[in-house]
Amino acid sequence: MKRTLWGVPMALVIATQAAAQDSVVVTQWDQFAQSGITAAGPAMDELIATCKPALNGAEVLRTIAPSIGIRDSYRLAVSAGKTPDLAYTWPAASVLSGYARVGALAPLDDYYAKYGWDQVNEFYKGRNSYDGKVYGLPMEQDLMGVYFNKDLFAENGLSVPKTYAEFQTLVETLKADGIIPVAFGNRDRWPATNTFSLILGLTAGRALEEKVFFGDEPWTNPAFVQAAQTFQDWAKADTFPRGFNGVGYDEANALFLSGRAAMTITGTWVLQDMIRGAKFDMGVFMLPPLAEGVAPGTMWGEGSQWQLSATASPAVRDAAAAYLDCLVSPESRQVWVQKGYTVPIGTTPEELAKWGADPVVQEFFTAGLATPDTNFYDLHTTLPESVTQVLYPELQRLVGGEVTAEEFLQSMQAAWETAGTNGERWLP
Amino acid sequence: MSSRPAYLFLLPALLLYGAFVVLPILQVTAYSFFSWDNGIAQDFVGLDNYARLGSDGVFWAALGHNAIWVVLTLAFPLLAGLLLAAILAERSPRTIQMMSAIYFLPRTIPLVVAGIIWGWIYNPLFGLLNYSLDMLGLGNLAGAWLAEEGTALVSLNVVGAWTFFGFCVVIYLGAIQSIDPSLYEAADVDGAPWWRKFRDITVPLLKNSTLFLGLYAAIEAMRFFDLIWVTTQGGPGYATEVLTTHVYKTFFLVGDYGYASVLSVVLLAIVLSLSALAFRLLRVK
Repeated sequence: MKRTLWGVPMALVIATQAAAQDSVVVTQWDQFAQSGITAAGPAMDELIATCKPALNGAEVLRTIAPSIGIRDSYRLAVSAGKTPDLAYTWPAASVLSGYARVGALAPLDDYYAKYGWDQVNEFYKGRNSYDGKVYGLPMEQDLMGVYFNKDLFAENGLSVPKTYAEFQTLVETLKADGIIPVAFGNRDRWPATNTFSLILGLTAGRALEEKVFFGDEPWTNPAFVQAAQTFQDWAKADTFPRGFNGVGYDEANALFLSGRAAMTITGTWVLQDMIRGAKFDMGVFMLPPLAEGVAPGTMWGEGSQWQLSATASPAVRDAAAAYLDCLVSPESRQVWVQKGYTVPIGTTPEELAKWGADPVVQEFFTAGLATPDTNFYDLHTTLPESVTQVLYPELQRLVGGEVTAEEFLQSMQAAWETAGTNGERWLP
Repeated sequence: MSSRPAYLFLLPALLLYGAFVVLPILQVTAYSFFSWDNGIAQDFVGLDNYARLGSDGVFWAALGHNAIWVVLTLAFPLLAGLLLAAILAERSPRTIQMMSAIYFLPRTIPLVVAGIIWGWIYNPLFGLLNYSLDMLGLGNLAGAWLAEEGTALVSLNVVGAWTFFGFCVVIYLGAIQSIDPSLYEAADVDGAPWWRKFRDITVPLLKNSTLFLGLYAAIEAMRFFDLIWVTTQGGPGYATEVLTTHVYKTFFLVGDYGYASVLSVVLLAIVLSLSALAFRLLRVK
């Protein structure tokens, strides 16, 4: 009898262990929270359930990490040999190719061929490639634009600028009316990178950016100097609130949403919070080119990308790839748009209208996707980390008036050369 | 009598110390001799990583900021603590008890929380400090305290001093109360004023406490991280960069484990030197 009593739980334990060995578990790290940056949590929650059949019996073990911190957490995981099977993290380009270089990521070429992820154009595919192989499946797309308070514009008889000269006049008019023109906070160090990326692209253009990033053109070229000078001039001319280097990104957004600032220049990654927080009629426009002969465009990038661990078993990789195919399917794209305010790559403005996306989302993406050939690079998702960690403080110093445009770019050039020597740079 | 039982009793603690202190130190020291790529060790590079220290401007700036922090901490919280303790010591026991608790309160607040609180106080948009200055008609003195290179480090040091001076008061108060009262009585008989008694009796007899607090403050000043990280992350620019934030960025953000380990070894050497000095001086006294 005693033997029987012991035998039942033992059999259960053995059976459970056997079942666990047979089952496939995909560990997933993502950044889809319920609020803040990349607040597409409701969409992710729904799609995990929707895409369950695609997993073919495998289970997803999900961990949500904050968007800003996930890149650091992921690096630690790689160095500890604990890379999650599937991760939705950022950035691509230099950082992703660094992981590929040390063999931490699995190539996805076979899955691209199998599932035909044709929505990923060559620009995005290039940013997710290393040494001729693709290592990331970019999903959403980030664009930069100018959010503005339509009510405040109307009250003050202002209109959306079509040229840079008009933008400058607009800023002066707002200042004269005692309104902060642009809500900007750079205490978190990274927001200035986005603003500068936009100014840089609209001053130098994509072709010159590519000569610097992938060729021998130095950072200290005249167009880059002009861009850095423009950013510093904006800061000196009180375009931003007082003490912007001590104002947090969220505080700057709150300043705009409270109606105390007329505009804020940021990206689509915060659309959900903006739409939810605006108690006024909000609109979006694209900043016009800042230099002669530069085509209209905006900063764009994949924001983040799905990537598979090289240490995941073939069964886990296959299950994860099938699950990814479901996550980026046209049906899922509709869920991302409607529940996550996230617009996946391949989504057209017509689809946004058909799916009833918020007018601000439609406005933003219609304008941003109209210039695919001239849209340009986001610095801190393109550069190696060693250069980014120079860019952040040096930009604070530039806008704070502590260094000249030339000195800022000399620091960048020095960091860039060191990164080149160390083999950290990304080439598409 | 054999000392073997004593060692046996010490063994568990020594094992834990070895596993969680000595071993990681050896590990970090070993890391410093390798090149790393994304957290993966590559090649043995000998002292190459150490050679980078000389040309690393951020390292020297951070070291300088640590030194400034030490000087400011020695100058203000210690002095304020000493004066307050001397004044407080002459009050009733109830007042001493109440005021000590009030002064000590900031010490109980974690530095992360203190950083958040003071971040709000200093905030250039809605901060209490600028608002108060405006209310007092001193709006022209309002500033972006943590956003400007000229004021950021000192502003943060004020926060550090706020959390530390109460500790100094309590230590000094305890020491003052152990001074023989007959010394003050004799001075009273001679008609010595308060400041004279303070200068010639209190200060000299508190030398050991001052030494302890000074070295403690210096060691803490080399180790602190959380306050800086939650308020400025070392910015604006490199204005509040200290060794610990430089280590953190190099390790966790850049992924250059080799050089981050070099910085950690240097930091460890400085803190160990200060600790050794503290032990030596306190033992001599």
